[in-house]
Amino acid sequence: MEERLLETVRRLNRRIALLTGAGLMACAAIVLADIVLRQVGASFGGTDEISGYVMAIATSWGMAFTLLELGHVRIDILRRKAGPRGRALVDLFAMLVLTGTVTLIAYKCWPVLARSLENSSRANTPLETPLAWVQTPWFAGWIWFAAMAWLTFVAAAMLVMKGRLTEADEAIGCFGEEDATP
Amino acid sequence: MIWAIAAGLLGLLALSIPVGIVLFLLGFGVDAFFSPFPLIRGLGNLVWSTSNNATLIAIPFFVLLGEILVRSGIAARTYAALDRWVSWMPGGLVHANVATATMFSATSGSSVATAATVATVAMPQAEKLGYDPRLFSGAIAAGGTLGIMIPPSINLIVYGFLTQTSIPQLFLAGLIPGVALALGFMAITALICLVRPELGGTRRTFPLAEMSRALLHLIPIVLLFTVIIGTIYRGWATPTEAAAVGVAGAIVIAALFGGVSLTMFAESLLGTIKITSMIMLVVIGASFLNFTLASAGLGRELQALLDGMGLSPTGLILVVVVIYIVLGFFIETLSLMVVTIPIIVPLVVAQGFDPIWFGILMIVLIEMALITPPVGLNLYVVQGARKTGRMGEVMVGAIPYVIAMLIMVALLIVFPAIALYLPSVLSEG
Repeated sequence: MEERLLETVRRLNRRIALLTGAGLMACAAIVLADIVLRQVGASFGGTDEISGYVMAIATSWGMAFTLLELGHVRIDILRRKAGPRGRALVDLFAMLVLTGTVTLIAYKCWPVLARSLENSSRANTPLETPLAWVQTPWFAGWIWFAAMAWLTFVAAAMLVMKGRLTEADEAIGCFGEEDATP
Repeated sequence: MIWAIAAGLLGLLALSIPVGIVLFLLGFGVDAFFSPFPLIRGLGNLVWSTSNNATLIAIPFFVLLGEILVRSGIAARTYAALDRWVSWMPGGLVHANVATATMFSATSGSSVATAATVATVAMPQAEKLGYDPRLFSGAIAAGGTLGIMIPPSINLIVYGFLTQTSIPQLFLAGLIPGVALALGFMAITALICLVRPELGGTRRTFPLAEMSRALLHLIPIVLLFTVIIGTIYRGWATPTEAAAVGVAGAIVIAALFGGVSLTMFAESLLGTIKITSMIMLVVIGASFLNFTLASAGLGRELQALLDGMGLSPTGLILVVVVIYIVLGFFIETLSLMVVTIPIIVPLVVAQGFDPIWFGILMIVLIEMALITPPVGLNLYVVQGARKTGRMGEVMVGAIPYVIAMLIMVALLIVFPAIALYLPSVLSEG
């Protein structure tokens, strides 16, 4: 059951990550178009602003994918010395701390959006973007990250309680350091 | 406050809580214990303003660029071409490892990506031609570290962002030290192989015709570098925009010279999202910690501490160097950089040092951290790619290159112009 849940969540987030990547590509295209237009004397005058929004939204929506791919760097210098059971407990604890922190972050992001909604604020920029348009998907991304973290934590905790440590390690372990860091 | 934070940092990291989360927790701690007014109310705004940032979008762009080059087979051809040109030297193909890594550094912003690329294409050759596995793999691990020094560099973008330093200037400053390090690596390889020729495998020379043909395969990568750096310094594009140009260039080059497929493209995008989110969690955490530390008056406390120690500016730099070398044994690179910037950079700058110069010095120290055990990512990457032998062999092989880096650190301290000459010349004109 837990594994099916994790597998579904992983597939779903892979799709989201692909969509997010496509958004980044689109943004690159806009930036390119603007560079070319500038050479001929025209410009949208808002690419920086768009890039910023894309970055904020891409960041929040990519977080859960990275979590499920074990991509958030951890230092495993002590963890490596523990046995399989100890390692599972360390992983669960780290996961719980992450989940709690991310939930708090998501909760604290709400007032930012709430204020924009209340005042119908617009960005102080050439495009005068209504901030709620871009802050809503950004905020939703953090909520999604928190929700995925809770799901993963609960699934992993159940796996650990059933003594299925290998499966738990696949879900919340520490690996992939090598392809996760610049 | 300083000691509490340092202890908290090391303790939480040792519990193997994700690095980005540790930074948030420390920020909460500073807020709860040291700040005269509650800072957590600013958290949401800070998360928004840190990630809603057009400069940082260069990170996914540069990562994507590297992913495309690696997955399209451009890397393998570059390596073969450089082999024709450098394998006559004592040490043979080992020089090709360093040279390929240098070239890839010039288009990729990442050290691990560079090391992984070179390791994948080089390792099969090592056994065939009878190279000593230690020196051969050590050279790849060390050469890969140049990825964060030679522009474009993701780490320099993050440094510039967190310290409010000009990113184009940082890129310029990294160029000479980066190339000098590459030459230093090659010199030390040649020296070792002159003394112990059995480590260096066969030296090979190639007919001139073959060498000139090989040049063709270097065109894509040279072109890409020229386009990226050129658009920045012609003033056509900011570093961020140049990164978008680089992505487009990489796609064109991959289509012309390598293989593009939908799967390859999807894999590149997924890799990009994974690395970008990892970096951003750490960067947002660091921004929050920065904000709480500044509000709680860290600057004054550090100044007082420093005055109490009675260190001269040079003394301070030496202490900082030792701190980085020691921490570099245990902490992975980006984390090391991001957790120390809020504390160390203000201190160094207050003593009258140039933040651009210090950024470059810090990068050399962090490059060293990449190839010093027990936590040295490039060592693991290279070991992962070679699939045989012991980890220890790569570690031993990397030692000569660590020495080259230490020499570079000393040179940078004695002659700051190595880093600052290019920015000073090119920014006035």
